[in-house]
Amino acid sequence: MERQDRKSQILKILAKSIRREVEKITDFAGLQEIRLRAGKPLMIICRNKEAVLPENEKQHITTKEEIRETMDYISHYSLYAYENELRQGFLTVEGGHRVGVSGKVIVENEKVKNIRHISSVNIRMSHEIIGCADGLLPYITKNMQICHTLIISPPRCGKTTLIRDLIRQISNGNQYVRGSSVGVVDERSELGGCCLGIAQNDLGIRTDILDCCPKAEGMIMLIRSMAPQVIAVDEIGTGEDIRAVEYAMQCGCKLIASVHGLDMEEASRKPVLGELIRRRMFERYVVLESRKHPGEIRGIYDERGSVLCRN
Amino acid sequence: MQKLIGSVLIITATAGAGYIYGAELKKYLEKIQYLRYIAGLLKGEIEYTGAPLSEIFFSVSERVKEPYKTWLRQTAVRTQSRDENGFSRIWNKCADHYLKELNLKKEHLLMVKEPGTFLGQLDRETFGRSMQLYLNRMDLEIEKLREGLASKKKISGWLGIMSGIFLVVILL
Repeated sequence: MERQDRKSQILKILAKSIRREVEKITDFAGLQEIRLRAGKPLMIICRNKEAVLPENEKQHITTKEEIRETMDYISHYSLYAYENELRQGFLTVEGGHRVGVSGKVIVENEKVKNIRHISSVNIRMSHEIIGCADGLLPYITKNMQICHTLIISPPRCGKTTLIRDLIRQISNGNQYVRGSSVGVVDERSELGGCCLGIAQNDLGIRTDILDCCPKAEGMIMLIRSMAPQVIAVDEIGTGEDIRAVEYAMQCGCKLIASVHGLDMEEASRKPVLGELIRRRMFERYVVLESRKHPGEIRGIYDERGSVLCRN
Repeated sequence: MQKLIGSVLIITATAGAGYIYGAELKKYLEKIQYLRYIAGLLKGEIEYTGAPLSEIFFSVSERVKEPYKTWLRQTAVRTQSRDENGFSRIWNKCADHYLKELNLKKEHLLMVKEPGTFLGQLDRETFGRSMQLYLNRMDLEIEKLREGLASKKKISGWLGIMSGIFLVVILL
């Protein structure tokens, strides 16, 4: 049933002629990406393998008209409603699927104002891995409460998927953690996959999301308005983000954040974040890697950097 | 006596017809004014909420009377179902189908269909400007209708009475 829904969600946003080709895919559950490029063959990525559609027949060349029709369906014929998202180069549709676009960028005052004449569309299927944080939770909780946790990971190692499942479990509660209200600042709609403000991914029953909101501002807004017990943010980077993280920690909220990095050492060398690590503000550090598959835990460390668990 | 009663009846009937024609003209003007009111609501909602068209139509449909309510609701439903290639087709089809009972003149039906060409296609700023131009044109049309209305009403009333008298004279 769920797969059927996912299929219909995807088919609904495709131009009719492309829909016919995509419908023929037999392994729809393994579909990861659909790539439309004006004047180029229609391509998909299925179980990490690229394929041109239709298979074993003459290639379907995507036209500009098909891209326009697809964008019409994606935006419910209302591109203006997605101006902010388009400025970032993507928008999220029902089901949390991510649609990346590229084309002619309109710049105003040295900032991207919008994208017109869209020539490429990349539809990425959302994938939630329910339970992927099961093994991690016992190490990052104390007295049924979550610890301030920093997830350190290089890109494409599954940190967003891991944080998403952590949020869900903390929000719902289980044998390791008491169900707590979680505030999520989802600057790029990656955690909740919100479509028109409604989360398309399961983030638990006690979760409040600020979608498309700058992290630093969002954390302060959440503390003032929603009184969260736990705040979750993905990919903190700027000095402003890290100062907001520190502020949130001093407001009695527990914090879960992720940052790009290879290991503890690399994270400690970051200018503002390094200072927080040296002051032992975080109680747990989780380092991820992707040797066999994304989301592998390389090590879990406590505030002093002592190893709690190593893979 | 019979002739007198017949004459009175004829004159009353033709005068009534003249009066009804005048009232119809007034009603027609009110219909165009209501359509202008709806266009204003759409503009305001889009500019304020920035929500997708289907949501805008649903929300505006709650604030208007029939048959405009059904027209907007059905447009919202069709927009949500994403069955048509291009919004203007949905807008035109719904206007043709659900505003049929308004008996709009061809030029006014075309005017109603016009937003279908730019709704949803432009950024909010450009949309605001296009919609304002459209509203100005509607105002102009309403002004034209209103200007002619008083004289047309008067003429239709008198024409009704006069044609009645004329008929009576011929029949007598």
